[in-house]
Amino acid sequence: MQRNPADGGVPIGYRAETWAFLGAAFVAVLLLFSIRCAHGPQTARAYPSRGLAPEPQPVLLAPPPMDDEFFPCSDCHEDEPTDRTVRKLEDEHDELELAHGTTWCLDCHDADQRDQLHLADANRIGFEESWRLCTQCHGAKLADWRAGVHGKRTGNWWGPKEYWSCVACHDPHSPRFAPLEPMRRPIRPEEIRLAAPSGQENAHEGL
Amino acid sequence: MKDFEKVGKPRQRDASRRTFLKTAAAGVGALAGVPGAAKAFDIEAFFQKHFRELSDADVQDTLRRLEEQYSRRFDKPVHVQATGPIDGVVYGYGLDISRCIGCRRCVYACVDENNQSRDPEIHWIRVLEFEREKAIRGIDLEDGNPYYDHEKVPAEGMIYLPIQCQQCEDSPCTNVCPTGATWREPDGIVVIDYDWCIGCRYCMASCPYGARHFNWTEPELSADQVNPDTHILGNRPRPKGVVEKCTFCIQRVRNGRYPACVEACPVGARKFGNLLDPNSEIRYLLDHKRTFVLKAELKTRPKFFYFYG
Repeated sequence: MQRNPADGGVPIGYRAETWAFLGAAFVAVLLLFSIRCAHGPQTARAYPSRGLAPEPQPVLLAPPPMDDEFFPCSDCHEDEPTDRTVRKLEDEHDELELAHGTTWCLDCHDADQRDQLHLADANRIGFEESWRLCTQCHGAKLADWRAGVHGKRTGNWWGPKEYWSCVACHDPHSPRFAPLEPMRRPIRPEEIRLAAPSGQENAHEGL
Repeated sequence: MKDFEKVGKPRQRDASRRTFLKTAAAGVGALAGVPGAAKAFDIEAFFQKHFRELSDADVQDTLRRLEEQYSRRFDKPVHVQATGPIDGVVYGYGLDISRCIGCRRCVYACVDENNQSRDPEIHWIRVLEFEREKAIRGIDLEDGNPYYDHEKVPAEGMIYLPIQCQQCEDSPCTNVCPTGATWREPDGIVVIDYDWCIGCRYCMASCPYGARHFNWTEPELSADQVNPDTHILGNRPRPKGVVEKCTFCIQRVRNGRYPACVEACPVGARKFGNLLDPNSEIRYLLDHKRTFVLKAELKTRPKFFYFYG
């Protein structure tokens, strides 16, 4: 065997570097092995079988309560003579912005039974059923609403759920949604500052 | 090759393995002479098997371990579930872009529900703003601006398009993951095993929708912010260095509930249901509305449908 005089004659095959190399090779093999192991399983997990229970009917969410100041309407209108002419209201209800097609109060509100609404066929309905009135014109929306695609539903996609009536979201006098203040915008990447170790400021900028 | 064969062996073997690891951990702690050593470095977590290879008993053990860890961290009870998929259910999502007003209520409902890091902030939903005039000639997602900052929305002449994980049927992200840490569940939800994610971010590069987000630092989440109802593959608090994404609120939908964003939307633009149920909301809109998916040309086959109501 070849001997290295600088090492006092220790055979080259047994030098420390050789052992280090062999050790490194062993570690490398282990690493490769662990990478092979680390590649996840190709099979799906065997979950216990779980079916769906029968689904209950959706519940119509009650419309928001009427304003005590204005309801019941009969409190004031009982003693008032009824003026059926289409006009701009000036003494009362002048704060109402009527932006709903060409409608006029008595198209929906009943002039004789003040605490009720009426349908196009003159049948009277209560305020809690107002969706029947809305959908006389908005028939396509009725179909979508019944299917859960127009309007809002909350609760369970499978299970008890509430669906919201027209007036829960829309003001019937002015049904278009008013613009809304958006919530805070996301931080831009260039605004991110990583927390510095204590005692330093802005260790890294603009990650 | 022995190690490979062990996978899927009876549970008795795992129990003895666990006992061994516990003893080893205690030994390491004792040797180091530091009382907290075994706690700081959780050897059981280190040798945690892939979620899909865990036996039911292992899953229960893991859930208890995580619950203990989180309850200690937040000083209040945190529940971790591993609720499985429901037979005959594949989830689908519908979003009515004719209604979205860009108010970002969904973004923050999602953050509150899913325990995203507050600083640096991570949002699973991004609401993109487009100029209507440009968008009607075809939407290029590159033109979308998520940083709009108006007093009131919708802004004049603008339309809004929220984007989150599209839960693709042919998902590029799961195909590129080198450790198998992300996969598609039988109900179509693409999930991540945070214990197996090595943070290489290949999935983020491969996702055409920018739906995946990385925890660059230890996520900041305080005790009053944490949602204690969590799922092991979903909204449980994440460690630093892992990727996360929308799971359709797996902790809610697998128990029948609507995702948080659906319930938060003030204009009712968000729809959710079972694609395999012909009477579901999602099937109705697929049957009756004009729908489209984003980047259909990539054939990722998203289960997130945009429609005109």
